[in-house]
Amino acid sequence: MSRTSNSRLALRHATLVVIAILMLVPFYWVIKTAITNENIYAYPPSLLPREPHLYNFVDVWYLIPFPRYLLNSIIVSAMAVAGNVVFNAMAGYALTQRFPGRKAVLALFLSCMLIPFQATIIPAYLITAKLGLLNTYFGLAFPMLSTIVCIFVFKAAFEAVPKSLIDAARLDGLPEWRIIVRVLLPLSKPAIATNVILTFIWSWNNFLWPLLITRDPNMQTLPLGLARFLSYMEDTTGALYAFAVMVLAPSILVFLMAQKEFIRGLTSGATKG
Amino acid sequence: MNWKRLGSRWVIVPGGMALAIVLWLAYVGTHNHGVIEGRVVDAAGRPVAGAAVLLFERGFVTHQEKGRATTDADGRFRFDDNQSHSIQLEAESPELGRSDRRIVRLMFAAQDTRLIDPLRFPVAK
Repeated sequence: MSRTSNSRLALRHATLVVIAILMLVPFYWVIKTAITNENIYAYPPSLLPREPHLYNFVDVWYLIPFPRYLLNSIIVSAMAVAGNVVFNAMAGYALTQRFPGRKAVLALFLSCMLIPFQATIIPAYLITAKLGLLNTYFGLAFPMLSTIVCIFVFKAAFEAVPKSLIDAARLDGLPEWRIIVRVLLPLSKPAIATNVILTFIWSWNNFLWPLLITRDPNMQTLPLGLARFLSYMEDTTGALYAFAVMVLAPSILVFLMAQKEFIRGLTSGATKG
Repeated sequence: MNWKRLGSRWVIVPGGMALAIVLWLAYVGTHNHGVIEGRVVDAAGRPVAGAAVLLFERGFVTHQEKGRATTDADGRFRFDDNQSHSIQLEAESPELGRSDRRIVRLMFAAQDTRLIDPLRFPVAK
């Protein structure tokens, strides 16, 4: 490698390191505030935490029913993730097949993506109420059980699988659902990871829908708990940021664990969707 | 069994977290008897016998008195039934007045704790 290209590479890496540090500063600041009781508006701000401790996390755990909120969020997110993987895989497979009106269904799906959730929230609420799902875990997960973006991620991944494999499976007598489970899904791990990450993060951070359909405080999820905590403890910056860290940590962890497949899945969706 | 799968991050990370949680819960389970121990001394560092020690428990906005103990001849006191994770302790004596209120923050509710620094009465005026 020549000297010029070496120095270019070093410069590129240095730039990327600086950008990465800038991106991480907000995360650092949130964690720093969570482990101290510093006021975020204090001037001059201190870069390093002074007298760090973990008591803010303990306060969050005991001052509100945090374990209950955590359990609710885990149950709702798990239901949403399971629903998305199952229903989106089926829908994605259906869209790879030829049937009358396929183009119209695709156009309908694409046009539905343009409608924001806030615009459909009243009918969604009425349907959920009619089904008797208000104030239930299933009701909380209901609108998140299938998302159009993730259907297209599966569709793109399934289209990338050679058709001869599916034909061979069909010749061997596999029914359609077993073709999805035995042939397509094992070859579409990036698409599954993308579905898991996106759905988990959307469901985990969802605020408006749980706010509308929960009546019982015991059914509230973590974002609602965060709002409640904020209304109780508006002056405790450290505890508030500790709560934010505890809410964000699981979704960041899931993302970090599956990021390789996630990026591959998104790229596949971008080029073949 | 495919042992290679055990080395996957999908096994190591949740497994490590589960192990850490189990160890932490085991520690909590063996150290959560609600015992708070300490000493009370005067301004010169001599133990104060017969002083009342008040335990205040943290609520959302204020601290409320939850218990009282009396110091023995060595100035030692002990509470056996603390249920909180954040308390304040204060000593009072008819002769010496009141000590500063000591904030004691614990890592979990009812954690057994021994105060390193004694509660100290101020110099008598």
